[in-house]
Amino acid sequence: MVRASGLRSWLVCIDDTDDIGTKGTGEIAEEIARLLSDNHLSRCAFVTRHQLYVHPDIPYTSHNSAMCFQVRTTKSQEEILQIAVAHLRSQSAAAADPGIALLDLHHPCDREALIAFGEQAKVEVKTKAQAYALAELLGIHLSEHGGTGQGVIGALAGLGLRLQGNDGRIKGQFKLPGLEAGEVQFSVGEAIELTGVDRVLSDSGEQLCFKTPLYLSGKVKAVYRDHQVSLLVYDDQGRWRNALKQQLKHY
Amino acid sequence: MQQVFELFQGRWQLTLDGEDYGTSRQLAAKCGGFIADDEDEQVDDIERSCVNCARRRWLIDAIECTFL
Repeated sequence: MVRASGLRSWLVCIDDTDDIGTKGTGEIAEEIARLLSDNHLSRCAFVTRHQLYVHPDIPYTSHNSAMCFQVRTTKSQEEILQIAVAHLRSQSAAAADPGIALLDLHHPCDREALIAFGEQAKVEVKTKAQAYALAELLGIHLSEHGGTGQGVIGALAGLGLRLQGNDGRIKGQFKLPGLEAGEVQFSVGEAIELTGVDRVLSDSGEQLCFKTPLYLSGKVKAVYRDHQVSLLVYDDQGRWRNALKQQLKHY
Repeated sequence: MQQVFELFQGRWQLTLDGEDYGTSRQLAAKCGGFIADDEDEQVDDIERSCVNCARRRWLIDAIECTFL
């Protein structure tokens, strides 16, 4: 959205940048986000990871996921792409097939079509031709930067899934006081204050109220649901605990 | 390892039983090729598990090992 300050909001999504043992796509996405936000961390809050279809016919390295973030910046599309593509090229693995998609959130386009593409890419094999055709139709920047360029499919799909607002996990984990020593107890309100998440959500979809006690340990992670960063918890014999990786896998 | 992974169309595959990663953990504990994938790509809280390995390739309800 355009503000008086000249800031404009964009969605950036990248895919297929890594190889076994190299820097992950999520880390590269975070680095690009930092470069674009001119060290104003509030201008880029988080990266979402979106799981796409896994199928022998799709040439992903190991998991087929795309990484997406929103950034507010005064930079033009050309400036954003110059910075993002230079970093993508320099940091992607030699054997990777990177792609990048960029959406100006102020630009009117058929969002439903973009969301539908993302949802389809979770359950069926999509082609580069389909991705490029849709990007051109919607006026969305989509480009490839090495190898087969197969990453353009996931990059476009990731934009759609981020727009949809009910898909993916938040990259990274939260640091909380005392967590390194073991289990810590906070109320929902305290956890929101300490982590910056929008809410605490149970694995059955219930939003917990501020005073509810939480028992947190290990890796504390969030998912993206209802366009909100949601710390995921589950009921363990009457105690709300942060979700295990096995539970997070489904997001 | 090959006794548990099955060769199917040229790929060594381990069929997974939901989120029961017991076999995946046992195999990874004895594997010399294990490389932990990015934390964001891991799905088992026990890190040394085939499903967390950068050398696995996800399939529907199974993983392929590219190390074998």
